[in-house]
Amino acid sequence: MNQKSTPLYEVRNASKHYGSVVALDDVSLAIHPGEVIGLVGDNGAGKSTLVKILSGAHAPSHGEIFLEGVKREWASPHEALEAGVETLYQDSGLAPHLSVAANVFLGREEMIPGVLGKLGFLAQKKMDVDAHANLEKVGIAVPQSSRSISQLSGGQRQAVAIGRAVSWASKVIILDEPTNHLGARQAGEVLSIIRRAKAQGLGVIFISHTLPHVLEVTDRIVVLRLGKVVADAPTSNFDAEELLGTITGLIEHK
Amino acid sequence: MSSIKVRAKSALGNQQVLLLIVLVAMIIGFTAKSPDFFARPVFANILSDWYPLVLIAIGETFVIISGGIDLSVGATIGISGVVSAITMEHLTNAHYGPDVTLCIGFFVAIGIGLIVGILNSLMITKAEVVPFVATLVTLGAGEGLSVVFTGGSTIGGGPSNAINLSVANIFQLFSKPGLVIIALVIILGLYLHKSRFGRYTFAIGSNPFAARAAGINVNRHLTKVYVLSSLLSAVAGYYFYLRLSVGAPTTGVGAELQAIAAVVIGGVALSGGQGNYFGTILGAAIISVVASGLLFINVPANWKQVVVSILIFVAVFLQQLRTRVRK
Repeated sequence: MNQKSTPLYEVRNASKHYGSVVALDDVSLAIHPGEVIGLVGDNGAGKSTLVKILSGAHAPSHGEIFLEGVKREWASPHEALEAGVETLYQDSGLAPHLSVAANVFLGREEMIPGVLGKLGFLAQKKMDVDAHANLEKVGIAVPQSSRSISQLSGGQRQAVAIGRAVSWASKVIILDEPTNHLGARQAGEVLSIIRRAKAQGLGVIFISHTLPHVLEVTDRIVVLRLGKVVADAPTSNFDAEELLGTITGLIEHK
Repeated sequence: MSSIKVRAKSALGNQQVLLLIVLVAMIIGFTAKSPDFFARPVFANILSDWYPLVLIAIGETFVIISGGIDLSVGATIGISGVVSAITMEHLTNAHYGPDVTLCIGFFVAIGIGLIVGILNSLMITKAEVVPFVATLVTLGAGEGLSVVFTGGSTIGGGPSNAINLSVANIFQLFSKPGLVIIALVIILGLYLHKSRFGRYTFAIGSNPFAARAAGINVNRHLTKVYVLSSLLSAVAGYYFYLRLSVGAPTTGVGAELQAIAAVVIGGVALSGGQGNYFGTILGAAIISVVASGLLFINVPANWKQVVVSILIFVAVFLQQLRTRVRK
């Protein structure tokens, strides 16, 4: 995996300590445009910590972050968002009482032009239309964007959450367990959204426990164990058994 | 599904329509029992009960939709009214003239509201005390300080024209401060349902984690919401001063329960993220009508609480029924 071009998004030698606990130990990771990376590891391997560092929620104790070759220090996830790094967290999800459009535009509301807009009044109709278009663009058909999320099925909710993240991401999208609790067909839809994001040139970081999904959709797999990267290789180097062995530590992957 | 079921579902689906029917039915009922009830002065009086109640109920609506609760609204009415009255009493000898004095009194009340709101939000966002406890603290402290400041007695001696302001001289129905309050109610209603501020309030109450992940500064928003609630309580406290021409430490005692009652009757879910502003307005109106109406049909005033409590039960019961029908 020796691409000469500057990586889209990169962490170098990142460590994270919580008191005396070392959650992440000298981890480096780079992703290129149009690449899908699978980030796997057992519970407690450091995946969540790495996601938090990548998404800007936590700063690493040591190490550096680069976006398109420029060193960045995220003060908040909001800063990362604005720079084009979008994260779909495992359980933060959506606001169930709000409409599809309100969720798609949450934190990025559009205002009516003119004085009323300056006073903070929302361009609701425009957002209803645009939300639908944005979701359609990434391959999601949701019946009505004025319906509230609580009226949707679990699969539709997840589709909206992912569609929201993908449609806003301009550079990198981090998906933390996006196929959890989904049926086979819905998970398949999520994977095709990931492929579409890749085709658009986004860098996708896909975190999952469902190894067949990881093997199916990723270009490269990074395995974490006990806070360290124990493998970082093209997906074609792995089969299901070998990947599982690497995660659990039964196989030393070189 | 039979058409009756469909119709029942859509009627239940709109709690505001139901509330409007209840409100009209109550007015008709009280009038049938005592024809004197249907008169302008009576309605002017109901409105003057409604103004302060709807103010605190609106603040409570924002707070409850954001997923919290504000128990300090009544105590804020008391302490803002009392401190404002004490200030104005001291200023009457200062030759400012009554209008300037009243103006200063207003800003003193607002200032007290601001302090309570900031204290509430500091406890909630910085010390991370749950809203119920944080606002219980300001409730107790506020009520206590009102008595301390006044020695337990009422404070009069302010500008003599205060009482004139609260006279219902517009169509013999509305007072001038009343119209200001109505305007405020309309503006805040639009703000809750049509603005980004309102949208964030719903989002935080619905799922604070999603709100935070979307880049919303949840703590800063909650600060604004609690400050808004306290400011509205302070306006209500000042309104009581205008209406009674005195500041009394007992004003506003127990008002938090009425505010919560109005909100709950109005269909706002105590779990946050859900609710309609118009429901709160109607909820407050129903409580105000019950209070006056019972007097007209010679029912002792204390029955009001019983009736309001029953209304709370019915409203919440219908709300649950509605959710069940939907499922």
